[in-house]
Amino acid sequence: MASTVPAAPTRPRTLVIASAFGTGSVLMYFGGLFALYFSIRADALAWGSQWYPEGAIQLVPGGMNMATLAMSAITMAWAVQAVLNDDRVHAMIAMALTAVLGIAMVNQTVFYFMDIGLPIDASEAATMLYVIVGSHLVMVAVGVLWLGMLLLRTLGGQDTNRHRDLVSAAALYWYAAVAVYSVIWVGIYIAK
Amino acid sequence: MTTTDTAAASDPSPTALEEAVTSTDPNTLSRVWGFGGMTSVLLGAIAGLLVGFERLDLASADVFSSADEMFQFWSAHRVALVLLGVLPALMGLATTVVPRQCGGSLLFPRAAALACWTWLIGAGMTIAGFLADGGLGTPGGAGQRQATALTLMGLLLVIGGLLLASVCVMTTIVSGRAAGTGLRDLPFTAWTTLVAATIWTGMLPVLAANTVLAYVDLRGRPALWFGAEDAIWEQLSWMFTHPAVYVLALPVIGIALDVLARATGITQSNRDVLLVATAAFGFLSFGAFAQTFFDTPGTPVREEALSVVAAFAIVPVALAILGGVADTLRRGASNLGSKPPAEAVVALVAVLLVVVGTVIGAVHAIAPLDLLGTAVEGANFTFVVGAAILGVGAGFHHWGDDIVGPGARPGLFLLGGLALALGVVLSSATDLISGLLDQNDFTGVTIAAAGNPDSGVDALNLVSMLGSLAVVAGLVVWMIAGALHTATAQSARGATVQEKGAA
Repeated sequence: MASTVPAAPTRPRTLVIASAFGTGSVLMYFGGLFALYFSIRADALAWGSQWYPEGAIQLVPGGMNMATLAMSAITMAWAVQAVLNDDRVHAMIAMALTAVLGIAMVNQTVFYFMDIGLPIDASEAATMLYVIVGSHLVMVAVGVLWLGMLLLRTLGGQDTNRHRDLVSAAALYWYAAVAVYSVIWVGIYIAK
Repeated sequence: MTTTDTAAASDPSPTALEEAVTSTDPNTLSRVWGFGGMTSVLLGAIAGLLVGFERLDLASADVFSSADEMFQFWSAHRVALVLLGVLPALMGLATTVVPRQCGGSLLFPRAAALACWTWLIGAGMTIAGFLADGGLGTPGGAGQRQATALTLMGLLLVIGGLLLASVCVMTTIVSGRAAGTGLRDLPFTAWTTLVAATIWTGMLPVLAANTVLAYVDLRGRPALWFGAEDAIWEQLSWMFTHPAVYVLALPVIGIALDVLARATGITQSNRDVLLVATAAFGFLSFGAFAQTFFDTPGTPVREEALSVVAAFAIVPVALAILGGVADTLRRGASNLGSKPPAEAVVALVAVLLVVVGTVIGAVHAIAPLDLLGTAVEGANFTFVVGAAILGVGAGFHHWGDDIVGPGARPGLFLLGGLALALGVVLSSATDLISGLLDQNDFTGVTIAAAGNPDSGVDALNLVSMLGSLAVVAGLVVWMIAGALHTATAQSARGATVQEKGAA
């Protein structure tokens, strides 16, 4: 007589849910900064004041960063799919690529801001620019560290359900980082 | 010597401090949150009392040497009550009570411990910053910049700790509750905590954004705008006024509903209505948009339709909740007996104060009355935060046996609660009248800064100060009751251990 093994109860996705709440907090932080930035900018422009000096903000570095992060969103989705398929090799490659793209974005931004010629105390606009972009750099750096830890776990051979949740949680955070940068790209680099 | 003796000698049981520092037990964390929070509430109340003394004679500076110093204590009073006091104390209850109500255990206990200690260190830095002539800026710009930076950094740690704790509690409710328990089945404390924590995770990051802007602008060079000494408080003040303070009262409403249900032995009828009403109360408390510092000239945000409508909409919601409470009391009055439980009395007073606070909030939003910036705002703050303190106390008393152990002192608790309630009513009612007579919220140490020099508010300020004194007295009684409760519980635990050893 064939015995039926009861299915194991589905583990609540606590990591993903906690990550969603945490990421939501981070988004509210940036939401607050963006609201202040666009509000003050609108007031300044309405009064005919100059927001950034002519030519201070260039489009190319922001565009390059956006492209880099857009690619990283694709590699992150690849990592999630690979982990779901228990494909360790592809998961490792995808996570490593995502982390490298994140590091590249940080590197490009730091290089650009070393060269920008717009000191942080030049104006309220410059202060806000540094705070918003700096906060986003911290967000990306945290994401890179998170991916590094996941990579180490994958190298250690852990590909359990919990690990899948860890990758999904990290992916949620990473997508949020990309989304935040897309606002920075449009609102600061393009609209200036 | 036996092997057991050797093991016992080499592995002594941890001291209370060691246990508190290293533990991830929700009860221990709850005690740290609760003790730290209520101590901050007491310190904040003392700061408020000192400001009350100074307001007695606006012709001269008696307690403080300058308006800047008075402002530091005035702002410290509000920060200590909200971010260092009531919110952490609520988090203490949420850490231990909510998981039990959900039928599970606290998820991410190590993260919860990290949150608790991050908050505590941040609170210490914030208080040190205030005491070192820093605080959140001064109108005259005479504070110490380094100390102000320390205060801001402490505030960021406080916000970080509270956010992390909120995430742990919310995840516990959403993902860690017992199988088959829907959100609609949750007791009101858990439900209102979920709603409030959602609002906290929406508002506290915005406060962090304000704080980071001020900190970056303050450091290293003359501040441009955000970090200017006279501008920092203005940017952060939205967290300590209408409507953001209402979210402090939300879990208190949940506590009151649960406490009264237990006391009367009656489950609330129209439970779904109460669930919706409490959720609406929470979402109407979202105050991050009401940042007057960034007002566009000519269109103050407090006079925008959204702000005014929200101020009025919360009143019927609060009345609906009060109706639910009254209905429970009406149906279960026969079960209360001649001596209702102390926590039920205090929780009921807390709900009444919340309702009065929302009415005052609505009145002060009426533009033609021109009450914005007057002492009416202070009255609104005192009513709501006072209600929150009462509710937190009721919660700790109600679940005290679970958190600390047996040995509660209901008589002392009721005495302290009534003194506190009396003080809140005296202080805020007189501030309300002073505000209607044009006294400013922050009066400064001169008659000119107080608002209308001919308003004749001196006698009212005296009554308000006596109210502040009653608040401090009530809190001291509560601290004594808490200390006695803890001591009794510890001695009971010690006796149990000795009995087991003897056996």
